[in-house]
Amino acid sequence: MRSDRIVFTDVSKFYGEVLGVNKVNLEVRPGLTGLVGPNGSGKSTLMHLMTGLLRPSRGKISVLGIAPDRPEELFRIIGYCTQYDSFPNGATGIGFLRYALSLHGYSKAEIDERAWAAIERVGLTDAARRRIAGYSKGMRQRIKLAHAHCHDPQVLVLDEPLNGLDPMGRAEMIDLFTELAREGRHVIVSSHILHEVDLISDGVIMIHGGAIVAEGEIREVRGEITSHPIQVLIRCDKPHVVASEVFRLEHVVEARILEDEGLLVRTRDADAFFTEVNRIVLAADVVVETVAPADESVHAVYDYLIGEGVGGGSA
Amino acid sequence: MTAGPPTEARVWRSQIWTIAKSEVRRTLFSRRSFAVYLLVAMPLALMLLRAIFMPDTLRVNAPDATTEFAEVFHFFLLRFVVFFANAMIFVRLFRGEILEKSLHYTLLAPIRRDVLVLGKYLGGVLSAVLLLVPATTLTYLLVYLPHGRAGLSLMSSAAGVSSLLAYLVIVVLACFAYGALFMLAGLYFKNPMVPALIFLGWETLTPFLPALLKSLSFVHYLVSFAPVPVSLGAFALLARPVAWWVALLALLASSAILVFLASRAARRLEVTYSAE
Ligand SMILES: Nc1ncnc2c1ncn2[C@@H]1O[C@H](COP(=O)(O)OP(=O)(O)OP(=O)(O)O)[C@@H](O)[C@H]1O
Ligand SMILES: [Mg+2]
Repeated sequence: MRSDRIVFTDVSKFYGEVLGVNKVNLEVRPGLTGLVGPNGSGKSTLMHLMTGLLRPSRGKISVLGIAPDRPEELFRIIGYCTQYDSFPNGATGIGFLRYALSLHGYSKAEIDERAWAAIERVGLTDAARRRIAGYSKGMRQRIKLAHAHCHDPQVLVLDEPLNGLDPMGRAEMIDLFTELAREGRHVIVSSHILHEVDLISDGVIMIHGGAIVAEGEIREVRGEITSHPIQVLIRCDKPHVVASEVFRLEHVVEARILEDEGLLVRTRDADAFFTEVNRIVLAADVVVETVAPADESVHAVYDYLIGEGVGGGSA
Repeated sequence: MTAGPPTEARVWRSQIWTIAKSEVRRTLFSRRSFAVYLLVAMPLALMLLRAIFMPDTLRVNAPDATTEFAEVFHFFLLRFVVFFANAMIFVRLFRGEILEKSLHYTLLAPIRRDVLVLGKYLGGVLSAVLLLVPATTLTYLLVYLPHGRAGLSLMSSAAGVSSLLAYLVIVVLACFAYGALFMLAGLYFKNPMVPALIFLGWETLTPFLPALLKSLSFVHYLVSFAPVPVSLGAFALLARPVAWWVALLALLASSAILVFLASRAARRLEVTYSAE
C-alpha cells in the first residue's frame, strides 16, 4: 500500500528501563521537516526507528507504506545520514560510496556515475580518492550526506547534518536540502537549534523528553523570539551595498563582510529583518544567492520555547 | 517496482557475493589480518624447526611421518589452529563492525538480514578455507620432507595423497561448522572469546565423555574422516565410529541450523553503539 506519508502510530521505545521515545504519533508530509529538540530528547531514537536500526517496543511505523523491518524495500526509498562519525576501516570517499551502491545492484557504469555525481553534489570531488580517515570533520559530514542520497531516495533522514560545518558549508548544505525537498522528497533534518531548521523547514516537529511537544508550522512561534539576536548569512553579488543598508536598521547589532561574497548579520528581530532584506535587495537590484541562518548560539531561544532549563551543549 | 522472483534471486546472489568478497578482503588483506596470519604460521614455523633439527636416526624412519602428521593434525592443527582461526574470523563478522561502529552502513543497505548473514558466512568460509587449506597442506609437506626421498614418495603415493585429501575435508567441514557457531556467538555475546574458550574445553573433553555427550561435539564427527586413528590415551572412552555420511550430514545440518539461528538474531539486531 503506497502512501506519501511517514506515519508513527503510538510508537514507544525503551532501552531496557531507559525511555527513548514515548507514545509518538506523527504524520510527516513531503517537503523539508525540521526535528528539533535538546540533547537526549529522542531525535536520533526517532530516526533510528524510522530506518529500522531500532525496533519499536510498542506501536507501528510505516514509511510511505513500507514497514522498517523490510530493509530490502525500505532502503530503495530512504537514505539516512546518522550522527555517528565513524567509517569502515581504510575506506576512501569514492570507495565508500561505490561499495554502498554495489549493494543496490546497479551496473558498474551506473555505480560510478552515481558515486561521482553524489560526491560532486557535496563538493568533495578533489578529495574523493583520499582516505576518509584523513578528512576534516566537515568533509566527513559531507561524505555521509553523499552516502545518504547517492541512490536518489524519496526520503532523506539527516541527523544533525550541519554539525561541524562552517557558516559557508552550512549555507551550501542547506541549499542542497531545500533543493532536494523542492524536488518533492521528504527531507527530515534534526537539530538542537531551532533557528537552524526553522527558517528552511516547511514543518517543524519539536521533541522533548521523548515526547512530541509541538508539530506543524511554527511561523507563529517565531514572532515570540524577537528579543534574541540571531546570525544570518547572506551571499550576494553586492555585499557592501547590503551591509551599509542593513546596518541602518535599528534591530541589527552587527554586519560583517566575509571574503567570498558573504555577509554575516546579527539581528534582534528575525522577522522584521527578513522583510527588510527583501526590500533592500529589490531596491538595490542585488543578485542574492542565499539568505540563511548561520547560528549556533540560540539555545536561549530553545529554552524559551520549551519553557525549561534545557539546551546547552555545543558552542 | 514489482520484481519477479527470478530477478529477486539474482539481486540476492549479487548481494551475497558482494558482501562475501568484502569480508574476504577485510579478513585477509587488512591491518587486523595480522593476528590470523600469525596463528596460521605457527604450525609451519614449528614443523620447519622440527625439519631442521631432526636427528638422523629419526629421518630414516619415513613411515613414522604418517602417525606424526596425524598427531600434529589432531592435537595442534584441528583443535588449536583451525579452531581459533575460525573463532577470530567468524566472531568478527558482526562484532567487528559493531566495535568499529560501522555496522549501521551495512544495515542501511537494501538487503534482507538473512541474505546479509549468508553473505558474511560465505565470506568467512572462503577466508578460512583460503588460509587453512594451504596451511594444512604445507604442514603436511613439512612433516614428510625431512624423511628425504622415502618421505616424498610416501607422500605422493596414492595413499599419501588420499589421506591428505581426507585431512583437507576435515578442515573444510570444520570451517563450515565452527564458522557458523562463532558467527552466531558474535551476534549474541559482547565478548565471544569467553564462550569460545568454554567450547574449546568441551571439544577437548569429549573423547573422555560417554557416547551420548560425544555426539554433541563437532570433533566427534570431524574425526570420523581421519585416515589414521590416533590414540587419545588410556582414559579416552571408545566410541562407536560414525559412518562418514552420518558425520557429513550431522555437520552440514548443524551448520545450517546455526546459520538459521544467526539470521534470526540478525533480524533482531539493533544499532546502539553507546551501550557496547
Ligand atoms: N543505547 C542506548 N542505551 C540506553 N539509553 C539510550 C541509548 N541511546 C539513547 N538512549 C537514551 O534515550 C534518550 C534519547 O536519546 P537520543 O540519542 O535519541 O537523543 P537525541 O535527541 O538524539 O540527543 P542528541 O542531541 O544528544 O543527539 C536519552 O535519554 C538517551 O540517554
Ligand atoms: Mg542524536
